[in-house]
Amino acid sequence: MLSLLWLKGLIARRSARLVGVANGVAVTVALLASIGAFIAASSATMTQRAIADVPVDWQVQLVPGADLAAATAALGQATPYEALALVGYADVTGLSATTSGTVQTTGPGKALGLGVDYRQLFPAELRLLTGSLDGVLVAQQTAANLHVAPGDPVTIQRIGLDPVSVQVASVVDLPQADSLFQAVGVPAGAAPQAPPDNVLLLPIEQWHRLFDGQAAARPDSVRTQLHVRLAHDLPADPEAAYTAVQQRAHNFEARIAGSGTVGDNLGARLLGVRGDALYARVLFLFLGAPGVLLAALLASAVAATGADRRRREQGLLRVRGASTAQILRLEALEALVVGVVGVVAGVLVSVLTGMALGIGLPGLDSPSLVWVLLAALAGLALAIGATLVPAWRQARRSAWMDIRLGVGREGAPLWQRLYLDLVLLVGSAVAFWQMASAGYQLVLAPEGVAQSSVAYQSFLAPVCLWLGGGLLAVRLWDRGLARGRGLLVWLARPLAGGLAGAVSASLWRQRTLVTRGVVLVALAVSFATSTAVFNTTYNAQARVDAELTNGADVTVTGPTASNPGSLLPQLAALPGVIAAQPMQHRFAYVGTDLQDLYGIDPSHIGEATSLSNAYFANGNARDTLAALAAQPDGILLSAETASDYQLQPGDTVNLRLQSAQDQQYHVVPFRFIGIVREFPTAPKDSFLVANATYVAQQTATPAAEIVLLRTSGDPAAVAARAQAVVGSLAGVRVTDLGTTQRAISSSLTAIDLRGLTQLELAFAVLLVAAAAGLVLRLGLAERQRTFAILAALGARTRQLGAFVWGESLLVFVGGSLVGLALGFGIAQMLVLLLTGVFDPPPEALVVPWGYLAALISAGAVAMVLAVVAALAAARRPLVDALRDL
Amino acid sequence: MANAGSFPSGQVRAGTVAVDVTGAVAALVEAHGLGRVYQRGTTRVVALASATCRVQPGDCIAVVGPSGSGKSTLLHLLGGLDEPTSGSIVWPALGPRETLRPAHVAYVFQAPSLLPALSVVENVELPLLLGDGDATTERAAALEALSRLDLYALADRLPEELSGGQAQRVALARALASRPRLLLADEPTGQLDHATAAQMLDVLLASLDRTRTALVVATHDAAVSSRMHTVWRMRHGTLAESVPC
Repeated sequence: MLSLLWLKGLIARRSARLVGVANGVAVTVALLASIGAFIAASSATMTQRAIADVPVDWQVQLVPGADLAAATAALGQATPYEALALVGYADVTGLSATTSGTVQTTGPGKALGLGVDYRQLFPAELRLLTGSLDGVLVAQQTAANLHVAPGDPVTIQRIGLDPVSVQVASVVDLPQADSLFQAVGVPAGAAPQAPPDNVLLLPIEQWHRLFDGQAAARPDSVRTQLHVRLAHDLPADPEAAYTAVQQRAHNFEARIAGSGTVGDNLGARLLGVRGDALYARVLFLFLGAPGVLLAALLASAVAATGADRRRREQGLLRVRGASTAQILRLEALEALVVGVVGVVAGVLVSVLTGMALGIGLPGLDSPSLVWVLLAALAGLALAIGATLVPAWRQARRSAWMDIRLGVGREGAPLWQRLYLDLVLLVGSAVAFWQMASAGYQLVLAPEGVAQSSVAYQSFLAPVCLWLGGGLLAVRLWDRGLARGRGLLVWLARPLAGGLAGAVSASLWRQRTLVTRGVVLVALAVSFATSTAVFNTTYNAQARVDAELTNGADVTVTGPTASNPGSLLPQLAALPGVIAAQPMQHRFAYVGTDLQDLYGIDPSHIGEATSLSNAYFANGNARDTLAALAAQPDGILLSAETASDYQLQPGDTVNLRLQSAQDQQYHVVPFRFIGIVREFPTAPKDSFLVANATYVAQQTATPAAEIVLLRTSGDPAAVAARAQAVVGSLAGVRVTDLGTTQRAISSSLTAIDLRGLTQLELAFAVLLVAAAAGLVLRLGLAERQRTFAILAALGARTRQLGAFVWGESLLVFVGGSLVGLALGFGIAQMLVLLLTGVFDPPPEALVVPWGYLAALISAGAVAMVLAVVAALAAARRPLVDALRDL
Repeated sequence: MANAGSFPSGQVRAGTVAVDVTGAVAALVEAHGLGRVYQRGTTRVVALASATCRVQPGDCIAVVGPSGSGKSTLLHLLGGLDEPTSGSIVWPALGPRETLRPAHVAYVFQAPSLLPALSVVENVELPLLLGDGDATTERAAALEALSRLDLYALADRLPEELSGGQAQRVALARALASRPRLLLADEPTGQLDHATAAQMLDVLLASLDRTRTALVVATHDAAVSSRMHTVWRMRHGTLAESVPC
């Protein structure tokens, strides 16, 4: 009965406080549940994207004499699959070729046999460089070793059989050579096997004719593999997917009973994705955890605004004989009501947020539901903790002490005496310095090892900076207010006139409350600022990465024979095209290494594509291109090439380029003028950039295999128009920036922060508004008695406003300035720590000025509303106000 | 007093005592059939049914009556803290309601009314500053008011560091510091012992006498009411009678 009575009274007379705390709980629950749901959705996306580019899921190595039909049947029983190809591997003792009167001979190598449809089934294994895929293919490195080109004969030194000659049809690149030539069945953890330098790929029928005899004579030198692409009906969770794939592999191996061993590329990738998914969760949690913590702090601050009144109520109850247990039951009732209302509201908001982000409703068996339940529990715990813990502590004090009001001369809290703020800042500095001295190697991904690792401890740096910075702000503000009474009077005078002394005295004595408000606003603004700046910088760099990959807003790519450069005027005239620039894409031998060569017009290439200073070793794109323009035979090389060949600027570099006149490679001299790190459309490994005019002159063809288009509007629309123009040209592709951006997939940089950005930045605005408005309003509401007394003493509205505006402006302006400074610092630290995530690294932070302006405006509006509400309440009939208190 | 007729208009102010055009001293407050009803949901509370009265400069009036008879409500209305729901009230010598405080009217509340964030002296000088006074001179006036009530030593204390009686005396010092023409006090000695109450009353009456400030006190204390010149008896929300002492 007493409980119901108490609850009725609370709802009737303290509804503002209840609603305020419930709002704080709701925001906490909504933010935590939304982030969790996004993490769950992202994990599912991470799995699919990570395994999308696995070239061959399984490479099943069959033992010599294995029953191929039985193995194929067993495969179908063990797992559904989408593609299956038989690949032959034959060891050869060497390859040789005679070109230009000289004989080149290589060491041991491999001859592979591929079905005619292999490239269609597993397109990622082969990339045509020159020639035709119809016939014998020679790997790029092998072609360089033998100095052969399409049409040249190559002699294969077979094991136990006579040499045999074949004719090269094309030169190809094997991007996945590491996995294609992996040693299947070696113990886990063994060092990866380097792929052979000398490789020929023959049509499977020809391969059988040439190597079946070798297989009979020397069975150990010839192997057969089944290359399989599984049906990707895998669980969304990477860990469950890995287990499923492992089980299928073991099931298959059991069925074939020792006739073969599975080289599980898919499982290895999933193993790596597990770590990546964890990285993504940690990143999301890190970016989101301060927000959740902030929401919890705000909810606690909202609950604390009623502490004085609650303390008096408890004191009165104890004076009248209520036991501690009875008081705690009443407080628990309030906490439960607030918690349940807050949790329900928070869950509703998170569901709506999820639907808005396209995540959908959490199903009964979905991981999102777990996050929702966790968030609900956290919300209840917060509501109970914020209310019951202070009540329990107060129950041990004198009742009479609780009944009296107190502004108080408080001692320094424990954390200040322990210098916790400085400890956290030093911890942040140490963690950051450790990462800096390791070259910000946050992620370790050794070459040839599918798995990567993340130095999770590095996140301590920004977290400690945020917390330590907040606590230091408390210390400095408190000290500043304590010693800066004169400054307060000076600041208050324009607002308060003759009352400046009284206003500043009030602020001075309530500096704990004021400091708390300043720091809450600062933490909210810093969270929003750091999140916005980091996300904007990340998205900007993701775009730069896409620009590097795609080359321009729209890129038209084709072979030399049907080069898109021939339609340059038509492409340039398309609606929406601002600029169009041709670019050659040839191949040149640098020594024995075949590299991509890009021929450009250095004076005009920048019209169609963005060239960052970071692309060039001297850090100056304009100067580098100017130097190239001034040197007709100039060439830019990679740092690795310059180092390998001990080149200095000004040195002559002889490259071999294929001439259009006779299809032969001829030596062409270039002059080395600088190092290039990145270039639009260029691969990650070594490449060359030269003047298109010189290259055209030396190769007897001006063909431009690439056309770069800069657009004014939607690149996808321009790409569609370009496709219509080049549709008649064989082998020509049109790609746009948006499609490329979406398609960019990297085990670590494939994290899509777009949804998280929208989520966090929307909540950040709510949190800033709550810190600047809700907490302020409730705090002012608790001092309504003061304003009523002032009005009773004869204070006019303007004079009342001086007290209210003085505190509000000090809290909001002070908090915003501190928050912006702290936020930028944290963002800079995040960008440095996560340098490896950016490709290329950003040159500077990208500041979302519009968002920051909107953020501060939202806080200002919330503050103004709080002040207006407080002044309106102060203008209530005085007797009513005094009576209520 | 209980049945006052109409009052002449055209008041002019001469020194500290306002006189009307006929030369008669203008009243500080004049009320006719004053009533105040509060509506709380469906509940109608008649806090004051009817009161007709006049307060002149220099009056010392005690308002007595049982609890709930409307004493505090009458004081609120006389001080302009509340608006009547029936009847009329004017302040011929003081001006319109909006300008009564802090210049002309001071109020001492029954409950503690010091601002917790200000020290004792800052609380006392507050009405002076609200009246656009000079900070230096008003501080001196505040300290002088504290001295008169033997509270000078508590000038730098915070309200939470005072006893209830001390806080009430500080509230009184605050009221006196502004040199009001009308002082309304609601149970000012309620938290004081007899000796302190008597001492405070001595100081109060002496101060008011010098300045011809009118005092209206709502009290249960016979020792206080016996020292007033006039007693207004309240009964069931009505000013039943006015009796000179």
